[in-house]
Amino acid sequence: MTANAPAAPVVSLTGFSAEYRTRLGVTRALDGIDLDVARGELLAIVGESGSGKSTVSQAIGRMLPRVCHVTSGSVHVLGRDIASLAPDAIRALRRESLGFIPQDPIASLNPTMRIRRQLELALRPLGRPTDLESLTELLASVKILEPDRVLRLYPHEVSGGMAQRIAIALTMAREPEILIADEPTASLDAQVRDEILTLIVDLVQRSGASLIWISHDLGAVRRWCDRIVVMHQGRIVEEGPAAQVLDEPRADYTRTLVAAIPGRQDPTTKEAE
Amino acid sequence: MMQILRWSAGRVMSALITLLGVSVLIFVAIRLMPGSYEDIILGPLASAEERQLLAEAYGLDQPIFVQYFAWIGQVLTGELGTSYVTQSSVSGEMLERIPVTATLTIMAMAVTLLAGVPLGIWTGVRSGAKQGGAVGRVVSSIGISVPEFVLGSIVIFVFSQFSLGLKVGGFASIGTGFWPTFQALLLPALVLSVFCVAATARTTRDAVMGVLVEPHITAAVARGETAGHIVRHHVLRNAGIPILTLLGTITAYLLGGAVIIETLFNLPGLGSFMVTGLGRRDFAVVQATVLFAAAVFVVLSLVLDLITSALDPRVAVTGKAGS
Amino acid sequence: MTTYSLPLSKRKRAVKTRPPRDALFIAAACALGLIVLVAVAAAVIPFAGDPARIVGPRLSPPSAAYPFGTDALGRSVLARLLEGTRTTLVLSTLAVVCTAVISVILGLVAGYAGGWAREVIMRLSDVLYSFPSIVLAILIAAVVGPGQAAVLSSIVLVTVPLMTRMVSAAAMSVAKRDFVTTAKISGVSAPVILFRHLLPNVSGTIAVQGTYALSVGILVEGGLSFLGYGVQPPRSSLGLLIQEGGSYMLQAPWLLFAPAAVLVVAILSINLIGDTMRDRLDPRETRSLV
Repeated sequence: MTANAPAAPVVSLTGFSAEYRTRLGVTRALDGIDLDVARGELLAIVGESGSGKSTVSQAIGRMLPRVCHVTSGSVHVLGRDIASLAPDAIRALRRESLGFIPQDPIASLNPTMRIRRQLELALRPLGRPTDLESLTELLASVKILEPDRVLRLYPHEVSGGMAQRIAIALTMAREPEILIADEPTASLDAQVRDEILTLIVDLVQRSGASLIWISHDLGAVRRWCDRIVVMHQGRIVEEGPAAQVLDEPRADYTRTLVAAIPGRQDPTTKEAE
Repeated sequence: MMQILRWSAGRVMSALITLLGVSVLIFVAIRLMPGSYEDIILGPLASAEERQLLAEAYGLDQPIFVQYFAWIGQVLTGELGTSYVTQSSVSGEMLERIPVTATLTIMAMAVTLLAGVPLGIWTGVRSGAKQGGAVGRVVSSIGISVPEFVLGSIVIFVFSQFSLGLKVGGFASIGTGFWPTFQALLLPALVLSVFCVAATARTTRDAVMGVLVEPHITAAVARGETAGHIVRHHVLRNAGIPILTLLGTITAYLLGGAVIIETLFNLPGLGSFMVTGLGRRDFAVVQATVLFAAAVFVVLSLVLDLITSALDPRVAVTGKAGS
Repeated sequence: MTTYSLPLSKRKRAVKTRPPRDALFIAAACALGLIVLVAVAAAVIPFAGDPARIVGPRLSPPSAAYPFGTDALGRSVLARLLEGTRTTLVLSTLAVVCTAVISVILGLVAGYAGGWAREVIMRLSDVLYSFPSIVLAILIAAVVGPGQAAVLSSIVLVTVPLMTRMVSAAAMSVAKRDFVTTAKISGVSAPVILFRHLLPNVSGTIAVQGTYALSVGILVEGGLSFLGYGVQPPRSSLGLLIQEGGSYMLQAPWLLFAPAAVLVVAILSINLIGDTMRDRLDPRETRSLV
């Protein structure tokens, strides 16, 4: 399959537009998005709330909410137009190639089940081992200290960072080719954020997967990512290598964004000096 | 574990308080009912001495709280008084009638479980798959909007006008064997179950829809799990609490007396006992049956809450289900 | 110069607005409106005649002279139906207004004060909630005697517990919000907080629960009158007419079907209106499993 040749993008959005239709009216969410993600690339999508970055991440898995309607364009994942896939085919695609890391990790776990049971339920259909030893090993691989104890807990009994490690373990166990993380540290304490990000990037680099990371933490994005896409009001206003976009922003909006990074000088005032 | 124990103890406590409240309410109601014991038993022409003797015999000259505790003591020993009209033991009569009401309840609940819950799950899951759902909404709304006295009357009309295989009546055969009893109770049970099925389907649908939008379902969908797998393992258990609560409430209400249906179909159950008692101003019967109905409800909802806390570990922590 | 927050531009603009369309809601509102209008109009202009007067032969079927037929005493069914509908609607509306007043006060206090006040109010409502509605109605009929007073008090006592719970839950979530805390800190008195801050924010819940209570009220009136402990003849109510109709079902089915149809349409319309209001108040997202 030519689509899987190294040069071909793993994810590709072409002229993709979508709008939210609710009782209150119609709101344009995405406006002609063109975006390619290469194999093994670490891509960050940044922008303020409501800029459409989450909608992009949902569109890649065909996970858009009901009220969101695609008005034009297409999304190709691994060379396949996902709009044309039958329910079973899209499920297989999500199962085998896509990995989502949730924003609120505790809520992403079933509150009525112990962690061990949830892992078993999620892994068994994939034909993966679900015995105690393998599960302990899985949790240890995401640097959970007492895996035996954690397996016996309910989601409301673990911390946010712990829950995120479990969610990451659940996702990475399937060895996805494309990992989508929508603000994976938004609900976490500052001190665990770095640990979680390090863990994600480490796992992604080791497996050779592509990472699409939705964030508004520009500092962290600059540290980890190859390329940045800046979104504003449903459009891509700027994209390029991380350092270049953040150090020499071309679009006005990017400049405002960069100026907002704490402890960082506004590039325009720097030039004026 | 400690939390669950403490929560359960609290729940038992509040059920006891509710039972206490129920008994006080009924006791006060009895005192307020028109016509005193003396009037009813002795008739209006009794002399003052006769009244005095009777009041002493029944302890009616004691302070009100002494009377209350005497009454509670009797109730707790299963002594529910003597019918003013037939002079027979109320508890004895109730024991004869409970099997009829219980059978009716079991039959109606069987239909509800087999039809209402699956219907609710199906419409709930489909609600996300397709626009509309107006038909299901109207049908279940009609189901909860047709009162049983209307539906029952119409069913009796239809089945007595046209011979449709099932006879209305023949209730004398109740208790003469499984098959005759089943046949006699089938129509009333079906009439009762229409409301129960519709109400259960609505609640189930709401509960399923509520769970479907929770982030852990989104996470499961994102993992590519199949609809059947998600419904079986992640939706049903989590939607179970409101469904169980409703099923428990319905069961308790039916057991307490399907008053209207039993009256309409002339069934010798608890509900018709209550109505006949009221009609004859036989207040001993009214208080006993009403107390039974309320006690069944309190006990059953306590049991359900304890089951619920086992189903959802958060209940004991937060006091309620849901995130 | 350093800014610590991201610049916020105007979020997603509404491009065009669609009017909310809900055929079911409109149909229900029209049906209920029609029933209310005709029943009330009949009280002002007695176009259907006097419900107490004997106008013709007993049990005559619907015809040009007697549009809905006559009953067992030869009275006009149409006139009695209109009177009965009015009685039922007036009694249940009156009762629901009482319920709303009681529940709002109890619910707001329980939701705002919490602690012992809440515990007491909730236990009391649990006690009432423990009785199946028709059983509670029978107990009340035994105390106050059959009649309109029994209907009124039954509906109130049957509907108060649920509405109190819902109002209290809504008030509790509003009471946790910052503007209430701010008001409290700035020394606003409890009654002002209850009625100026909490009440407007739970009005949606009150409207929805009031609507459902109205349909329960009609059901309770029907059930109690059907059993013979509600509205007493020669007055009429929907429940009473259905009970009378039931006894002449085989000779004169129209006696049963006319009031039954009005009752079912009224309850159904009210329930559908309640559902729509609930959906507006608390729009539900849905999620597909594909």
